[in-house]
Amino acid sequence: MIEFLSKKLQWVDVDYWFYLFNDLSLVYIIIPFFALELIRYAYQKRLNKNLVLDSIANVITFGAFFVIEIILGILAITKLYFWIYNNFSLPHLELNWATIITCVLLADFAYYWEHRMMHRIGIGWATHTVHHSSPHFNMSVAYRFGPFDAILPIVFSLPMVMLGFDPILVLLSEVFVQVFQTLLHTEIIGKLTKPVEFIFNTPSHHRVHHGANRQYWDKNYAGILIIWDRMLGTFEPEKEKVVYGISEPLNSINPIKVFFHGIVRFLRKQKQIKGLKNKLLAFIKPPDWMPKAQVKTKRE
Amino acid sequence: MKNSTLVFRSLAIVIFIAGIAHLFTYASQKAENKSNISGEEVIAKTPVSKTKNNIYTNENTNNIIGQWKVTYDSNDYKGSIIYEIKKEGKVINAYTIEYQDENGYGQKADRTKTLIIKSFDGQKGKGVYMVDYENEKYDVKCDIAMVDENTFKLRYDYYGHSNMETWKRR
Repeated sequence: MIEFLSKKLQWVDVDYWFYLFNDLSLVYIIIPFFALELIRYAYQKRLNKNLVLDSIANVITFGAFFVIEIILGILAITKLYFWIYNNFSLPHLELNWATIITCVLLADFAYYWEHRMMHRIGIGWATHTVHHSSPHFNMSVAYRFGPFDAILPIVFSLPMVMLGFDPILVLLSEVFVQVFQTLLHTEIIGKLTKPVEFIFNTPSHHRVHHGANRQYWDKNYAGILIIWDRMLGTFEPEKEKVVYGISEPLNSINPIKVFFHGIVRFLRKQKQIKGLKNKLLAFIKPPDWMPKAQVKTKRE
Repeated sequence: MKNSTLVFRSLAIVIFIAGIAHLFTYASQKAENKSNISGEEVIAKTPVSKTKNNIYTNENTNNIIGQWKVTYDSNDYKGSIIYEIKKEGKVINAYTIEYQDENGYGQKADRTKTLIIKSFDGQKGKGVYMVDYENEKYDVKCDIAMVDENTFKLRYDYYGHSNMETWKRR
């Protein structure tokens, strides 16, 4: 077992395996499953114009997010990652199964924290609210991204590079964590067996995460493993029927409105906040934060 | 949950997982160093025999069999190429199997025959090297000289230009 885990692997093979899951899964799992969801919606007489246009808007937001990600990647991210890797990292890890498995585990843990930050700080929620704003829950919602969704992950994946993991392996692992979650955006799959529900993030756990129900707010941040939520106090099981969306519904299928609504709301809040210090604090304080003085004045 | 608990648990998780990765790499490198040392002792004791085509078929000539990496840094190509040297009947051929960029990320090649070793005695040899020059392919005579069991030099001349490549075992 130890020999297998520490046997040197070739990049060309590792690249191919990630390509099979990260890239090709769109063809052999995601699109067929989405087609199944549409059939289910039609059977339940829930397939309507709003749902179809919402799904199209989701894909358009993904396109916009992807362009931003490519530009960032070409301009800076890859160079930054490699500079850190070559100047500020622990000894570089060999490419073997142990490195790949631990890299995916750390990428998943980094995702937990990055996701928690996206919910709990103002600027994070300004971009991440886009993903939660759909009143529907299907595979196309997995592709609903906000404009800055590619930026916060950098903060959390740089430490992995500093720990000696190859930057490309870190990026591939992060994509793997994202692609895994695509499969969770569905109502078709109910609760799975107890051991699976205990260890892994599942459609049930992720429905809770997307719930606008008060007890479901800011819960189940996990990517692949739900054990991070269990260990860090943010787990909530699915009990009550989930109502999807956000506390202030968007009510739009216009992809431009969808993509930018989080930022627009954040800027509107910035206008309401008095004082430069408070305006800056709003970036890092929770999304529902207002300066004490202004809250008091409102109450009076 | 208290912030201190969150920080402590998170750090513990990161240190544990990263520690496992480093432990495996350390163990693997230690095992590799041990096997390199014992390999050198075997090669030094192996006897030599001669064949009709001047390719000596013994453990020493078999040392050139395997995968080799050559790093290039020119205007035409920056990166590495991986070759596989195989014995095919009485001839030893090298095929291009992978191209790697400067960061080591590879792309499979189409296994073009790149080198034919016509004579090799375990230390020195001669062959024909297929060189690409200004989009033309040329069959160029070359000399091979082993430096050690993991390195050999390949030297060739064409159009008055002399070139030396260092082939390192992958």
